[in-house]
Amino acid sequence: MTPAGTGVAPVAFISAELVTDVFLGTATVFILLVVAMFYRVVKGPSTQDRVLAVNVLGTNTVVVLALLAAALGEPSLLDIALVYALLNFLMAVAISKFTVERGGVL
Amino acid sequence: MVSAFGIALFGFVLATALATALLRDILAVIIVFAAYSLGMALFYAFLLAPDVAMTEAAIGAGVTTLLLLLTIATTVREEPGIAIERPNLPALVVFGGLLVVMIGTVTQFPALGSRNAPVWSNPEVTQYYLEHSYKDTKVHNAVTAVLAGYRGFDTFGEAVVVFAAGISTLVVLGREVFTRE
Repeated sequence: MTPAGTGVAPVAFISAELVTDVFLGTATVFILLVVAMFYRVVKGPSTQDRVLAVNVLGTNTVVVLALLAAALGEPSLLDIALVYALLNFLMAVAISKFTVERGGVL
Repeated sequence: MVSAFGIALFGFVLATALATALLRDILAVIIVFAAYSLGMALFYAFLLAPDVAMTEAAIGAGVTTLLLLLTIATTVREEPGIAIERPNLPALVVFGGLLVVMIGTVTQFPALGSRNAPVWSNPEVTQYYLEHSYKDTKVHNAVTAVLAGYRGFDTFGEAVVVFAAGISTLVVLGREVFTRE
């Protein structure tokens, strides 16, 4: 059955459940990548390694939030992703200042 | 697929929580705690509580790290001899007891969406908010409507308390940090 005016047959095997599963599966893989990255956070050895790793975790979180928004059909989760994208650099800046000029944070 | 995502996320949050508790270096703990906050925000988003997730994002990614860093900037951070803390046995016993109590409590909760849940045993109240909240407040999310609409003055009072705490923190820090040349 072709929808009127489009001339393109809908692809029958792509259902809404499949799309949700694909998005959630991708999000799960990203979480596994986050766990792998967390090894670097724990192992260190230097503070810079840890800060960089947590920054990568933050970027991953933004991606996972966007995937969750698509999978669960909740556009409001995109706002949280935006907040994270905006605030992600804050910790890196604060800790960089803290280590360069000992004691300075703000 | 939903449960696979939940299990993976749970593993991540558990790993971050354990690392936060066991690492010795305070600076490393602050960084690991930021990762824990990321995981918790994902959990709140996954459980469809976007307002809580937003708060966790703003507080966990920004404010907590800054406050903890300011704390160790004005105190002393000693170099730890060992990387991983050895667990304290009495504390472990207390923790185990607390864990048993918590698990016992959580397993007694009514299942998600159960008709026997206490929220349904008083259907007039629940249905009232579900039916009237959008008409009264023009907010789609019923929880947000109750939080910021029906009990708006209460939330406003909480905001005032948090604001006062922030101002007093700035006053204390202004004496300690901002006056440094």
